Formats: sequence, structure tokens, C-alpha cells
Amino acid sequence: MSGADSEFKIVFTGPMGVGKTTAIAAISDEAPVSTDVFNTDREAFDKALTTAGLDYGHIALDDGTAVRLYGTPGQARFRFMWDILGLNAAGVIVLIDASQSDALVQLDHFVDAFGSGKRTPIVIGVGRLDHAGAPPLDAFSQRLETRGLTLPVFGVDVRRRPDVLLLVDTLLCLIETADPTRLTA
Amino acid sequence: MSAAPRFGKVATGVAQKQLEAFGQSTPGVVSAVLLSADGFEVASLQVGKSGAERLAAMGSSLGAIGSAIAKEAGIVECNRMIIEADSGTVVIMHVPDAKPPMSLAIVANGASVLGQLLWAARNCCSAIGRAFRE
Ligand SMILES: Nc1nc2c(ncn2[C@@H]2O[C@H](COP(=O)(O)OP(=O)(O)OP(=O)(O)O)[C@@H](O)[C@H]2O)c(=O)[nH]1
Ligand SMILES: [Mg+2]
Repeated sequence: MSGADSEFKIVFTGPMGVGKTTAIAAISDEAPVSTDVFNTDREAFDKALTTAGLDYGHIALDDGTAVRLYGTPGQARFRFMWDILGLNAAGVIVLIDASQSDALVQLDHFVDAFGSGKRTPIVIGVGRLDHAGAPPLDAFSQRLETRGLTLPVFGVDVRRRPDVLLLVDTLLCLIETADPTRLTA
Repeated sequence: MSAAPRFGKVATGVAQKQLEAFGQSTPGVVSAVLLSADGFEVASLQVGKSGAERLAAMGSSLGAIGSAIAKEAGIVECNRMIIEADSGTVVIMHVPDAKPPMSLAIVANGASVLGQLLWAARNCCSAIGRAFRE
């Protein structure tokens, strides 16, 4: 497609309000497809809109790699969309909001829902680390290590394009080392 | 986790009655769920709690994706979405002017006639929309 040397599908996931839609908008070459709707659950997260279907964006990198960017809804009731969107994904970016009291539990939950990094490479982006009472970045890596998982973990602000690109670049490296044949496929 | 109180007791009661009347007067209706755009059950007909929750979430995803595709195609408003199979039909219909935004998801079997189903569903949605106009 579009003459790219290689093309990857990657998925942004994580709990409601963590910034999946924001992250895709921050890096997509074109205005992303959005399925955000009126949010009636202000207790879960106080914002006007929430993603009910999916986010979709696209980015062409300097080396000729094209990346299709999919975002999931965050709430567990949309779990069926996680499975649909996760299908044939080359890699997954799990975003976590450190200011939420259950951030570490959410980390386990989303990493497990997308195969714990065993089927598909996973990179973790943790946001709002400066929030009072948020666990330090180390706590997230350690949480994974206690379960025998070694996944890259970065502190990010998803509103900043370089932060999101760092997650994508890291994921692409993991994808390529995990399966070198993909590069030429 | 029931979200019902968020949607107003009186309007929800009206919607429930409308759904029951719709189910009784329309051949082939298997079940129906009135859902908020973000996927919560508001009222339901002939479906258990977990089934209603699932249909509400799936209906909202479908509605949101349908609207995005319509927008992409340059069609402004997506009023309804129809999934047809040999053994039945699923319709997701937008409830006009409801606050908060809502849709009605209907599952019908082979005894239904599409035109009749859509006509009855539209009347039902109009009545529900009036109840949720504050
Ligand atoms: N102050 C602050 N705001 C942030 C930060 N990261 C993200 N946000 C904001 O948090 C909000 C995230 O909203 P969305 O992008 O809709 O989140 P989402 O993950 O797509 O949410 P759902 O689709 O509802 O699951 C946006 O308004 C961002 O601007 C941060 O580090 N600090
Ligand atoms: Mg979103």
C-alpha cells in the first residue's frame, strides 16, 4: 500500500482517559478517524467524549516504513473491540495513567489482555507521573518483572509528538528483532 | 454496574413502555436495547442483564463506526445501520434529539418484514426521543 517498503499495524490500548485518541492524533499524518461519542460516565473519567469504536491514523516514517495506528476504547465493556483490533497487530502500545489509584492493576490487566508480550511485542507508556501520589516509573517495570515480564517502559506525555514517536520507534525495533522476516514480507 | 439512574427515571420508564409496545405490535422482534452512545443500557426488552449490556456496548461501537464511515463518505448523518443475515436482522437506529445521545438496537428473526420493522422502530425512536428531550 502507498508504495511503502513495509507496513505495520500497531494498536494503542489502555484504560479510559489515558490518552489513546490524543496519542494517535499527535503523530498521525492525516486527521485520524475518530469514533468519539458523548461520555455519560463522568465518574469513571471526567471528560466530554469517549471512544466507542476505534481510532485510526497513519504515519509514514523516514525510512519508508508505514505504520497504521489503531486505538481501542478503554472501558471493559468494549473488550470485544480489543480482540477485534488486536487481531493481526504487529505490536501493542499500552498506555497507563499513573495518577489513577489502580494504575498497576490496570497495567497487569491490559498487558494480559494483549498476550503479555509473548504473542505480540508490547511497549508501555506511563503518563501523569508528576501527579501527587503517583508511583514512580520503576514501580511499573518492577510490577512486570515480578511476573517474569521484561517490557520497555517509558514515562510519556501523549500530547507531545516526540514522546509518542519514541513509543512507536521502540515498538518497531521490538517487532523487527522478534521477527526479521517481517521486514521483507 | 447499572447506569440507569444517570438517564432519568421518568424518561426511562416511558422508554420501557415504548419498547414493550413496539415488541408486542411488531412481528419478529426477538430483543431490543435502548443504549447511550457510549454503550450503557438505558432500557431493554426480552433480553437478560448480561445480554443487554453486551448488546448496548456492541451497538454503540457499531453506531460510532457507522457514523465515522458515513462522515468519511460525505454523508452527514447516519440514522440507522442494518445488518442482514439469512436468519435475521439487527438494526441500530439513532434516537432523534435525545439527551444524552442514544440509539436503539433491535434483533429480529425471519418472521420480521424489514420495511415494517424499520417503520415501527422509527416511531418507537421518535417517542423515546421526545421523552429524553428534558
Ligand atoms: N494534564 C495532562 N493531561 C493529559 C496528559 N496526558 C493526556 N492528557 C489529557 O487527557 C485526555 C485524554 O483523553 P483521550 O485522548 O480522549 O483519552 P483516551 O485514552 O482516548 O480515552 P477513551 O477513549 O475514553 O478511553 C486529553 O484531554 C489529554 O490532553 C498529561 O500528562 N497531563
Ligand atoms: Mg479514545
